[in-house]
Amino acid sequence: MQIVSEVREPLVIGGKTIKDVTNDISRPIEAAPPRDWFAAMFVSVLLLGTGGYFLGDMLWNGIGRWGLNKTVQWAWDITNFVWWVGIGHAGTLISAVLLLFRQKWRTSINRAAEAMTIFAVICAAFWPVVHMGRPWLVYWPLPLPNTYGSLWVNFNSPLLWDVFAISTYFSVSLVFWYIGLIPDFATIRDRATTKWPKLMYGLLSFGWTGGARTWMHYESVSLILAGLSTPLVLSVHTIVSFDFATSVIPGWHTTIFPPYFVAGAIFSGFAMVLTLMLVTRKVYRLESYITMEHIEMMNIIIIVTGSIVGIAYTTEFFIAWYSGVEYEQYAFINRATGPYWWSYWAMMTCNVISPQLFWFKPIRTSLVWTFVLSIVVNIGMWFERFVIIVTSLHRDYLPSSWAYFTPTMWDIMCYAFTFGLFFTLFFMFAKFFPVINMAEVKAVLKESSSKNYRARRTITEEPLPPLTVPVVEEKTAH
Amino acid sequence: MEKNKHFLVGIFGDQDDLLHGVEHIRHAGVKIHEAYTPFPVHGLEHALGYTRSWMPRAAFVFGFLGICSAITMQTWMMGIDWPMIIGGKSYVAVPDFVPVSFEMTVLFAAFGMVGTFLVTNDLKPYGVPRIFDIRSTDDKHVVAIDLANNTLSEEQIAQVLKEAHVEEYYRKDFTDEENEGGFWKYVVDLFTNGVTRSSRIANHR
Amino acid sequence: MKADVHHYDLAENFVFSDKARKSIFIILALGIVFFVIGLVMVTMGGGHEGHDHALAGNGDFITTAGGEGGHDHGHAYHWTSRLKVTLWHNSLFFLGIAVIGIFFTAIQYAAHAGWSALIKRVPEAFGSFVPYAGVVLLAVFFWGGHEIFHWTDASLYDPKSEHYDEIMVGKQGFLNTGVFLTLTVLFIGGWFAFWYAIRNNSKAEDVEGGTKRFWRMKVLATLFIIFFAVSSSVSAWLWVMSIDSHWFSTMFGWYNFASYFVAGLATITLAVIYLHEAGYLKALNENHLHDLGKFVFAFSIFWSYIWFSQFLLIYYANISEETVYFWERLRSPIYGKFVFINLFLNFVFPFLSLMTRDAKRKTIILKIVCYAVIVGHWIDFWLMITPGTLKENGGLGFLEIGLAMIYAAAFAFVVANALTKAPLIARNHPMMQESLHHNI
Repeated sequence: MQIVSEVREPLVIGGKTIKDVTNDISRPIEAAPPRDWFAAMFVSVLLLGTGGYFLGDMLWNGIGRWGLNKTVQWAWDITNFVWWVGIGHAGTLISAVLLLFRQKWRTSINRAAEAMTIFAVICAAFWPVVHMGRPWLVYWPLPLPNTYGSLWVNFNSPLLWDVFAISTYFSVSLVFWYIGLIPDFATIRDRATTKWPKLMYGLLSFGWTGGARTWMHYESVSLILAGLSTPLVLSVHTIVSFDFATSVIPGWHTTIFPPYFVAGAIFSGFAMVLTLMLVTRKVYRLESYITMEHIEMMNIIIIVTGSIVGIAYTTEFFIAWYSGVEYEQYAFINRATGPYWWSYWAMMTCNVISPQLFWFKPIRTSLVWTFVLSIVVNIGMWFERFVIIVTSLHRDYLPSSWAYFTPTMWDIMCYAFTFGLFFTLFFMFAKFFPVINMAEVKAVLKESSSKNYRARRTITEEPLPPLTVPVVEEKTAH
Repeated sequence: MEKNKHFLVGIFGDQDDLLHGVEHIRHAGVKIHEAYTPFPVHGLEHALGYTRSWMPRAAFVFGFLGICSAITMQTWMMGIDWPMIIGGKSYVAVPDFVPVSFEMTVLFAAFGMVGTFLVTNDLKPYGVPRIFDIRSTDDKHVVAIDLANNTLSEEQIAQVLKEAHVEEYYRKDFTDEENEGGFWKYVVDLFTNGVTRSSRIANHR
Repeated sequence: MKADVHHYDLAENFVFSDKARKSIFIILALGIVFFVIGLVMVTMGGGHEGHDHALAGNGDFITTAGGEGGHDHGHAYHWTSRLKVTLWHNSLFFLGIAVIGIFFTAIQYAAHAGWSALIKRVPEAFGSFVPYAGVVLLAVFFWGGHEIFHWTDASLYDPKSEHYDEIMVGKQGFLNTGVFLTLTVLFIGGWFAFWYAIRNNSKAEDVEGGTKRFWRMKVLATLFIIFFAVSSSVSAWLWVMSIDSHWFSTMFGWYNFASYFVAGLATITLAVIYLHEAGYLKALNENHLHDLGKFVFAFSIFWSYIWFSQFLLIYYANISEETVYFWERLRSPIYGKFVFINLFLNFVFPFLSLMTRDAKRKTIILKIVCYAVIVGHWIDFWLMITPGTLKENGGLGFLEIGLAMIYAAAFAFVVANALTKAPLIARNHPMMQESLHHNI
């Protein structure tokens, strides 16, 4: 028996049947893309191309094209790296953590969120690679035997931990996402009426039939992948925070960094999911699947994580004062009042103050407010990383080395390149892959598609009923 | 392996009807070949009498392998093969090795388990599925009963299916060719004969 | 309705049986015996227990986390110090478990959790211990604050004194008796007030039915979580971190919370199991236990994560003002081994024993793990509090264990009494049917 309480909102509205789910999600894949899609794709590719030109120029001439200097050796590149990696946390969080916590509302949004995760991690991994200056030597951080005898990579370095963390996270997320896609690819394969889709989705669906035994193993695999991904997703941003916090730079070396970075990552990730989902929902008319309830839930997660981040800011500030270490105290005063005061206050406004608007129900159930605030949060989270990285670096221990960082055109355009890459990949995904996990939505459809039908019988440990008893139950509510 | 050819296929429209139906069919002494569903049905594996998935054990074994490899690799590289003092710590600075050990545990566990899952369930890019009813990836639940594997006659099984309140049932025969269909044959077929659906499926759409 | 649908009798009232009272009094009596033996031992032996000046033997100290070196200045050790410290430790630990009861109830509402409706009266009852632990805590501060908190020493702030400490002067705005008392009263009072409101609302739901109380509860729960988010961190700085008054760690508040949370979850699990075994909570099945087990498992890992992150960052950066905290513990003949016992009980043991699905569904394994985890976190708090206060005079002996048993008996007695004050099952909870038919 599964019973759904009356206080829960339905997850799928509009009286959808299982057949409707298949049709609604598969149709955009089978139909020719709408004109909006071509327009969006054009802009993305343009961004990719223009950014790509500057990127190529930067790689040809060297990192000196960026605005980095002797004191501020990390600026936009690592800011963008951390920002993208943070965004890349929401997908796995939605599918893994919410799966473990049995939050069924995740089913409509997990597919797109996971796709976004993977593309964001690609954009993130791009930054350390180009920051190497010689990206063709990207295999150097791997523990491979080399021509310098057996001089190995340094396992005591957080930057190497990062190599392991990001690559593990990327590949495990990809596998998790793909395993979820297989049943849906089979649905599209079985609907296909022409050769190429039949072949391509046939290849992609791995010969899936939907046998009960396979589903049983599949569910077990999903659950364990979720169980593995949950600490994994925490570990990734934890290790990113170690890049800073293991050092002895004031403003970087603080023990709260690991959980605080994780909370910030979830915060920005959910904001990005909201931005993309609101657009996808509109373009593909998915209002029945991504309901106001879903949006409200995500907004609540934004309030929670935003407030955790706010508490962490306050804690850092307080402990800097409390510690009595004058370097720490200076680092924090300098953030708020130094030459980069504007970035600090942009961060505070966007990250701590603006999400508090979501306490008001009319705001968190308004599409316009949600869309605007989701972008504001992402701006704020970019500034957070900028504040941490640049503001802490630009005041060296040696005052003669004090410097100011100004981005160049190459900084800006390389950043634009990652946007082009991200959106190109996302639009390709939205066209060719099912944007909603059909199998999972179908599985929760029955008990959560309306307010009336709330109970359904499932097998428990009870003995089988005698054959004389009619086995089909009436379909009314209990 | 010789695959059987003759099946009786029952179609259910609702997951709860399927669960009751499966219970009923098994109770009547009919062996079910397999049930095919468009989404995981909670409790179906229990109704079919399957033993619980052993995937967790695969994950554990691979994860254990991962952590052992990680510790061995780091200790050997940093402590034995080319020891260096870094940051004033000892050669084998155990706390520093935790992050990589954790990542490799997860990596091995995830890939090992997913690999095991794909191999044991015969999922591969060039796999050509034997489909009983094409609606099983859309909105219908399909129960396949292997006639050769049951002692009851076809009529008796049909009667059981009716009592189990199937929406419909029919006999499904696979040709030798369909049973043995390889990937290249599938591709060649697709591009020479075009896309066809079996007449049985066409009848039922 | 079909024959296979269970009908549960939800009208359960907990009766504090003589048998239960007897068990609690046996624990209490044993605790008192241990406590008296411990008292005799510390008064006779001066508490050194053979480790005379062992810590001071580590001459390579630059400073201690508590301020200046332990010997040249500060209060001479007297056996009452040990009593005061262990009172402080136990009051804090059991206060934490009581508050986690309220917090757990609150997050169930905030997250719209359905499975826990059946057992929600159990964590709800935990809150009744808050005022008792709170009053003792305040009393201990008045009696023994000087021995527990280095910062209460007025000579630190006197420029003419040889103990004048510039760093402590910098902290005086926060570390002073006025702020301490104000915030302590505010936090404990606030927790109690929230508990009172949540409890009354919950009881009213039993009478009124409907969903109105559920939504009001959700508001209360949210407000409590906000209050707790701030108060749990600040109280950890004030009550625990300020013991090592020079030392600081931004993670500390969340670290304390993680420790409390696991201990609280384990206590909730144990209470639920014992009630079920005594014939209450008849509708409880192994799916509920599975969920509780998952909570203990997951948050044990969370605690380990927080512990390790804090340790690794301090270890890696190797700044002596920070490493001294771990140095004092790891290099001490008294405390060193407990650091590893702590990690074993709170990470290795629950991680390995609750990993499988079956283990989380068996009461016997859950019981063993929960006891281990509660003891583990009690040791965790002992490790936070004792080295900074008693230095080389600290110990974990009859005195500490006896007092912990006295506290455990008092906690069980107060909570059991609170359980009798309301029906054991919140029958009108809108999630009740979901919880009764919980199946994973």
